[in-house]
Amino acid sequence: MTSTQRMCRYLYILIISGLTLYSSPVYAQADTTATDTTGTTKVKKKDLAGHQLCLGIDIARPVINAFVSNRYGYELESDYYLHNEFYGVLEGGWGGSNVDYTNLAYTTRNNFIRLGFNKTILPRERPTDWDMMLMGLRIGMADVNRSNATYTVIDSVWGNTSGSTKGTSFAAIWVELTGGMRVELLNNLFAGWNIRGKFMMNGKSFNALSPLYIAGYGEGDKNSAFDFNVYVSYGIRWKRKGVADTVKVGK
Amino acid sequence: MIKNTHFLVISFALCGLALLTCTVERQPCLTPTIASLNIECMHLPTDTATIFIDTALPSAVFTALTPTRSDSTIYPQQSLFTLSLSPDTTYCQWQFITDTALSKYAKYDVITFRYQRDLQFLSNSCGYAYFYTLDTVYSTHNIIDSLHLINTSVTNDVNTTHVQIFIHPDY
Repeated sequence: MTSTQRMCRYLYILIISGLTLYSSPVYAQADTTATDTTGTTKVKKKDLAGHQLCLGIDIARPVINAFVSNRYGYELESDYYLHNEFYGVLEGGWGGSNVDYTNLAYTTRNNFIRLGFNKTILPRERPTDWDMMLMGLRIGMADVNRSNATYTVIDSVWGNTSGSTKGTSFAAIWVELTGGMRVELLNNLFAGWNIRGKFMMNGKSFNALSPLYIAGYGEGDKNSAFDFNVYVSYGIRWKRKGVADTVKVGK
Repeated sequence: MIKNTHFLVISFALCGLALLTCTVERQPCLTPTIASLNIECMHLPTDTATIFIDTALPSAVFTALTPTRSDSTIYPQQSLFTLSLSPDTTYCQWQFITDTALSKYAKYDVITFRYQRDLQFLSNSCGYAYFYTLDTVYSTHNIIDSLHLINTSVTNDVNTTHVQIFIHPDY
């Protein structure tokens, strides 16, 4: 499969997933529409859930950093309740890697940002219920800086050959499908996890020396990656302003 | 909506699984890091015009003529041989004889390969490797009748034949 075909496939998955989520029935209180028995008046219910901005940190990253010596990463996330059980999501972070093998040595640093949305897939029990099972889509971008790389080609017949390649900067772009859950453990304090399937969109642009690790994505020399996050977050809430709850139709 | 105990159990299981998978710091290199120059020996018989592939050359010897003259000898047990090219220069030589017992009667042949080098990144596990594009191949003609260059692209693909050696009918 060529890279163009692969990219088209990922875009197709992205579009179909988005359409599926958008068209799925909504069981929550938000914006449900009912018709009265006379068929003349539609009552548009208020989204009683109010506003919520959640700010969180991935607590799994420091633990993983402690176990893995040649890479590190940190992630922060924020999401804002939009409407109709959709949440706008902004995530970001930074990280790097230090490759120090006998035949290859270089370092990388990168920042990343991810934009997208989450959609809850279980009905809300009450307006103040902010627990969620979620599915979501993201597009991720990272600016990667790689140092000069030194290499050794090991050859037992002709002898080893060493050299170096110049450092460079490049952008990495990927899309993600994500799913997970989040619960309110204490008042306004949430914990949750996500699993993510990630698909690199422009891997060929830096395959002259793909970085060992791109924070936010994973192994840079792979076209797809699997990842997870464990978030602790704090929700800031305020009431939604009054919205006209009755819309006259006909007559 | 969600039972907190369910969440905690799933979270701890996920964290444990993730930590197990994340502690492997370097994946093993599973691809060849030396480009394979694959050679096939063909025999020209005296009695017929039929050319056939030698199925076995049990005593054949290939020796790399390295700059330091340190012997790097390959003793293949069949008619398909895998050699390597020098990454330091744009040409290299191997000497060849079909049977070491023949060395009393016939000289070794020297095969010269001229090529272009191309540094390739394989992966972080495997590092870099040199791939080559063969320009010319020629040899002395003590035992070798002729050479046939089939494929000029020498990579780490072990299944491509690059050069055919036609051995003289007398040997």
